Amino acid sequence: MTTTTTRVPAGPSAPRSRPSVLRRVWWSDTVAGWGFISPAVVLIGLFGLVPVVWAFVLSFEQNDLIGPGKWVGLDNYRKLLHDPQFSNSVRNTLVYTLVFVPVCLIGSLLVAAALNRRIRGMTFYRLAVFIPVVTSTVATATMFSWLLDPDFGLVNAGLNKVGIASQGFFRDPHEALLSIVLMTVWGWLGFGVIIFLAALQSVPADLLEAAAMDGCTRWRAFWRVEVPLLAPATLFLVIWLTINALQLFDEIFVTTKGGPVGATTVVVYYLYVQAFQFFNGGYASAIAYVLFLAILVVTAIQLTVGRRLSHGER
Amino acid sequence: MAWTPRRSTALAVVALAALSLAACTSSSSGGGRQSGPTPTGAVQITLSHGYTDVEAKAITAQVATWNAAHPKIQVKLLFNGGNDGALQKTLAGMAAGSSPDIAYEYGSSMAALAGRSQVVDLTSKVKDPSFDWNDFYSFERDAATTNGKVYGVPALVDNLALVYNKKLFDKAGLAYPTDSWTWDDFRAAAKKLTDSAQKQYGWAYVADGSEDTTWRWIAMLWQAGGELLTSDGKKSAFNSPAGLKATQLLRDMAVSDKSVYLDQGNGNYLNLFNSGKIGMLWTGPWDLSSINSDVSYGVQILPAANGTHSSIAGPDNWMVFNNGAARVQAAWTFLTWLTSAPTHGQFTLVTGDLPTRESETKLDSYTAYLAKFPGDAVFVLNLTNVTKARPNTKTYPQLSQAIGSQLQGVLIGQSSPQTALDAAAQQADSALTSGQ
Repeated sequence: MTTTTTRVPAGPSAPRSRPSVLRRVWWSDTVAGWGFISPAVVLIGLFGLVPVVWAFVLSFEQNDLIGPGKWVGLDNYRKLLHDPQFSNSVRNTLVYTLVFVPVCLIGSLLVAAALNRRIRGMTFYRLAVFIPVVTSTVATATMFSWLLDPDFGLVNAGLNKVGIASQGFFRDPHEALLSIVLMTVWGWLGFGVIIFLAALQSVPADLLEAAAMDGCTRWRAFWRVEVPLLAPATLFLVIWLTINALQLFDEIFVTTKGGPVGATTVVVYYLYVQAFQFFNGGYASAIAYVLFLAILVVTAIQLTVGRRLSHGER
Repeated sequence: MAWTPRRSTALAVVALAALSLAACTSSSSGGGRQSGPTPTGAVQITLSHGYTDVEAKAITAQVATWNAAHPKIQVKLLFNGGNDGALQKTLAGMAAGSSPDIAYEYGSSMAALAGRSQVVDLTSKVKDPSFDWNDFYSFERDAATTNGKVYGVPALVDNLALVYNKKLFDKAGLAYPTDSWTWDDFRAAAKKLTDSAQKQYGWAYVADGSEDTTWRWIAMLWQAGGELLTSDGKKSAFNSPAGLKATQLLRDMAVSDKSVYLDQGNGNYLNLFNSGKIGMLWTGPWDLSSINSDVSYGVQILPAANGTHSSIAGPDNWMVFNNGAARVQAAWTFLTWLTSAPTHGQFTLVTGDLPTRESETKLDSYTAYLAKFPGDAVFVLNLTNVTKARPNTKTYPQLSQAIGSQLQGVLIGQSSPQTALDAAAQQADSALTSGQ
């Protein structure tokens, strides 16, 4: 950019030859463009890219995040392969993702279909569904830890009323992760509903009318006409929910802190413990990079498969 | 003509971006650096703290008194936003090259801070006879020391004692806990106070697997005569008969008797104690102010195994940071005054904090203190039951996590005490080995 500034003509009235016009056009468009995005570029670069690169370097070091680090090559990555706590966190993350994404997806679709009609008070229902999305995670988690309290929680009180024994929820290693799924589905459902609702409302009415004229029932029209048209929205949601599920942290931090006995220690929570409780910055960075690569691969697969499927269905 | 406005827009945007960046950098260069020798020859120092409410008022008043009497050393208070984030703030300040002169730090932050070039080694300063270092309780001195060097002056001291609801004891026809209680007495009382139909529990234990879970167990380990680490600090020593005895007590009470409410780290135990659902707590003076006025409670020292009523404390420290010799000297002069028995005695009289120096209990104001904070009397006596400090090492957080997580398994009945100890010791040893 600096090389072009040297030959800028004095003013608009200066005689122009073809190359200098080209140069001016290049100069004005490029600089204006970069100028407009520069605040964002600088901030993202400073707080996004620099840490990303720094973390990559850190992952080859033994570093307590403050003092100078020591280069250890691939040691951190090698250690990860033999760390039972890390493999436990990977297992928990996979289980969580495999349950959370389908449940949230199907739940969102059904609720969106239910909300996609004209009845009284629809705005209220839509608002109600979306409120959990904008509620802070800490508030949600605190509320659920009270609701699901094994001794004094409302949920167990309700279960006891209908003759079901009290459950341990966050306290029971077999139920803790599922309780987290329950809580996060509650929090994310509204997001999926909004996306599906927007997609449903853009389904052309004439397609549904045509189906109806051909003798298609409302139910069949939903599955055969509307759902296939939702493919792009579904693909987006699957990718978005998967990325978020793989990065689960806040809810764990506020409720179970990875317990009981590691039953809800997911990858990002383990990373946090290593980085900010044990100050093993290098090791934590290695975890972050493994997670990054995993998300990259999963997303790439989802995109490829998803695109092929949605094109195939059309 | 379309060229000029476009170009000027571009330039304007670039200039704006540059300006906003400049604004960012200039605002971040504030802080501790601004203060220094003032034209009149006085030294200005900063003290960073997380006190709120009554304690904030008390320290502000004390600093105002000092500033009025000492024109040559002017102290400026900086609120750190809460002590929970003090370590992170301090480390960020160090990285940015701007540290306060004195800062309040949790005892657990000692290992992360000690030995850094910005942190002033106070060893020779506290050895000055006029400072009377040995007047501080020995565990406080241990907690301010790492690798044989002193890096802090005790700012606050707590310990664990038994807090009980008198009404629940009366209702169960039980005599109040005494200072000669054993673990058996304690377990039997907890069992008797438990009423599953009423969802009433004898005791509460924080079972979130964090340090909150670990440190109460360490008190039990010490009561049973055990040690956390070998004397050279290189290996774990808690997988011992004493460790097993302590862990077994937790299992007997939580799993066999079901007399323990397992708090999940959200502090529900205090609400439940207030509602008369929990008979006894092992807690510190910080919880007393949250107990409702209509709850009649008593405080007793912890029960004993083998006649030892060990308690555990988490002393916090004032630490001094290097901003040049003149300011270090001024900071030390001020800190000597702030942590002297008369000054801290006045502070406790307002706040109800426990005395940090033994001689504070011999001050005239101490009678007034006990009259004003009757619940604190046992906590002060209990300071003599704190004979050991948790290790000040960088690997302690890993040890704590290994133990806490395994204890969680015992408390919910998932693992046996011996299995849990084996696993915890193995994890702790591998952390100790790789941390060296």
